[in-house]
Amino acid sequence: MLELNKVSRHFGGVKAVDELDLTVHQGEILGLIGPNGSGKSTTVNLITGVYRHQSGSMHFKGQDIAPLDPHERTAIGIARTFQNIRLFGHLTVWQNLWAARVVRRGGWSGFRERWLSGAATAREQAEELLEFGNLADKRDMLAGNLAFGEQRRLELVRAAASGAELLLLDEPAAGMNAEEIGDLDERIRKLRDQGRTILLIEHHMELVMEVCDRVAVLNFGRKIAEGTPAQVQADAQVRAAYLGADESAVS
Amino acid sequence: MDLLDLIDLTQSVLDGVLFGATYSLIGIGFTLIFGVMHKINLAYAAASVGAAYLSLIVVSHVPVPVVYLVAALMGGVLGWLVYLICFRFLPLSNPLATLMSTVGMLLAIEELISHLTQGMPMNYPAMFQSANIEIGSFFIRGDLLFVFLIGCVAMVGLTQLLKRTRLGLATRAVAQQPVAAQLCGMGINSTNASTFVIAGLLGGTAGAMAGAAIGVLSPLLALPLTVKGLVVTVIGGLGSIPGAIVAGLIVGGAENLFQFIRGVSERDIYVMLLLFVFLVFRPGGLFSPPGGRD
Amino acid sequence: MDFYLGLAQVIGIHTLLGLSAWCVLHTGQVSLAQGGFFAIGAYVAGMLTSMWQWPLALALVTGAGIACVVAIAVGFPAMRVKGLMLVVATTAFAEIVRLVFFNLEWRIETSEGVVGPNGSLGFGGIRYFPSNGWSAFEVNALIWSLVGGVLLLLWWFDRSRVGTLWRAVGEDEIAAQSAGINLTATKVSAFGIGGAIAGLAGGVFAHYTTHVEHSNFGILLATFAIAYPILGGLASLAGTLFAVIFIQGFLLEGLRFLGEWRSLLFGALIVLVMLVRPDGFLSRALWPGRVGPRRQQTASPSVDDSDTARQEGSRHA
Repeated sequence: MLELNKVSRHFGGVKAVDELDLTVHQGEILGLIGPNGSGKSTTVNLITGVYRHQSGSMHFKGQDIAPLDPHERTAIGIARTFQNIRLFGHLTVWQNLWAARVVRRGGWSGFRERWLSGAATAREQAEELLEFGNLADKRDMLAGNLAFGEQRRLELVRAAASGAELLLLDEPAAGMNAEEIGDLDERIRKLRDQGRTILLIEHHMELVMEVCDRVAVLNFGRKIAEGTPAQVQADAQVRAAYLGADESAVS
Repeated sequence: MDLLDLIDLTQSVLDGVLFGATYSLIGIGFTLIFGVMHKINLAYAAASVGAAYLSLIVVSHVPVPVVYLVAALMGGVLGWLVYLICFRFLPLSNPLATLMSTVGMLLAIEELISHLTQGMPMNYPAMFQSANIEIGSFFIRGDLLFVFLIGCVAMVGLTQLLKRTRLGLATRAVAQQPVAAQLCGMGINSTNASTFVIAGLLGGTAGAMAGAAIGVLSPLLALPLTVKGLVVTVIGGLGSIPGAIVAGLIVGGAENLFQFIRGVSERDIYVMLLLFVFLVFRPGGLFSPPGGRD
Repeated sequence: MDFYLGLAQVIGIHTLLGLSAWCVLHTGQVSLAQGGFFAIGAYVAGMLTSMWQWPLALALVTGAGIACVVAIAVGFPAMRVKGLMLVVATTAFAEIVRLVFFNLEWRIETSEGVVGPNGSLGFGGIRYFPSNGWSAFEVNALIWSLVGGVLLLLWWFDRSRVGTLWRAVGEDEIAAQSAGINLTATKVSAFGIGGAIAGLAGGVFAHYTTHVEHSNFGILLATFAIAYPILGGLASLAGTLFAVIFIQGFLLEGLRFLGEWRSLLFGALIVLVMLVRPDGFLSRALWPGRVGPRRQQTASPSVDDSDTARQEGSRHA
């Protein structure tokens, strides 16, 4: 579904992403892990178009997405969550979802739906997402007033509200306790079962190993390993990256 | 256009570039405050003119250079006052509030000057008016050259201050990471206040130089100086001091060029259009890469 | 009585001006250009009725329409910049408009004599109201029905998706982008609508003062325009109206005895209000559910987390 071919991006002298090859298959949950500074967030920013890649190519469902602006990439089906939650704090929960609904129809009815009111089906979909995120009773609360866990859930369903087929989740488990992570695990699976593809960036190894079908590991902007969770866990290079060369030599 | 016209045109532009040093100073002041506090102080040019007016208090008692010095000092004082009233107690997260507050200050200062002087323009002393340097068919006006040189001295002084002193270091640190700077023992409020004072010193100098070059001070000076100063800041690139310097000279020269070609009443239209051209093609300003996504 | 009717006219026109700025401020942009659109509306509508005998309604709509088109044309390049640069760009635009009208001379012979803009002398002889026997009361009725109409329109926008999109963009441009919102389209639409409202206000203004000139449309007017929504609180439409009534009604008129010191007072007043109530006087007392100071972005938004953390940090500092 998403193909990155030798994608590179540097900032000044630092190669944040170095000739990265990454493929995300339809319907899978791919984990992207790596030590801090390995280029995971930059990769997400490159995919969503916030940064422009400086070499290589990116294709989504066969289409070259390089010329597309960030909001256009969302329109064709790529959505993301943010590591530091970026909700519309002064809008209500419902309005956050409603603002994110991407309208793909053109013409007068498209105009009406985009700017004026919403068709009934769109509202239904938003209501379903509200339920899914367990936020139905909070729909009129200002997003900035929600509890942390609720904000994270809203961030997640807002990304889904755009109708995206590919969800990029940027450290959704940060700051969560075990119970919340368990809920997150379930939600991610359900989102996939509903027909979406997920790219999960995470530091919580247990979650990654539990929920991901495949895992790719970055270090210094390069991919150093790829495979099933078990394969990656056993990989010597991965252990060296996380634990340091001496440790891996010992074990 | 024949040769004589061309010479006149070049002369005009030259005069404009020299005067442009004044715009550079104002532009630097705006950019300095924006760079440190990420806020605009719209009252800056008005305070600069006000400082020049204040220096008129001593004009009959001291030699002219001291008058300029007093203007600079008064600029510093006014800068500190503006900080205290418009910035010190306002929540940082609300830039609209500080913007409005400085606008209010701008109006208040302008009106105050108008009232206290009954709206009459007042003469401002210049130096070296009769000393003109001839180079071929061109004159370099002595008083403008003096204005230009004082401007350069001020800019050099500022760069040294920022690069070589602890105060300069603190200013730059607070600009980049206010919380961390505080944790390193730098008082945010005192550092910000000093930034305003420094910018104010520059502004007072600029006000004095504008008065010297034009020959009179008038409350009507504040608004055009504000607008031109902002144009300079944007063309030069927000937060870039070298940018403001170069842009000031460019705007000064361009202003006179347009005036020569199209007359005084249409001149400013073209200066503004120049700004728009920059905004479209180089929104980051002179000293930054052409506007891209990053 | 005439005095109060005149005051009501001023309040009405300034309310429209404030509402035009409200639209633009909602998307997080500070625009000092509203005075420019006001001027365009004034001159266009005035010229149409006095020079070519157009009916008033058509002239007003055309004035607003042209202001809207100009706003959209200016909006596209202007929306590429943010914060201070936008302030400067809009200020520059307003100055260009003012200077254009300062230089505009276009006079023609009509049955009523020579009419038309006369450069620096301004544009007088916009005699539609007196020639057609409009009373001050009727003028007020026109103005206030327009105010009512615009308030209704904006209230409806605010409740529909447009308002949500405007506010989302005003809140957080990066989040809005990744939620699929077309930033440029949203910002330009707000700018265009704001321009149309200001143009409408200008058209009516030209007719009841019968004489307009470039100095009417300077930075002071632009400042008033954004002062109203800021002082009244961006959270509500009514706040703008109250701010206009308060400033124009109580302060500027009520303190008439202070004579020439009024403008000085206006400046000092703005400073005072910002010190005491930086979110505007109506936004906290009557809307207690609000989250807190509205975070507007004047520095360019950045995407890496350290910068976001810094913004969050400075919010709570």
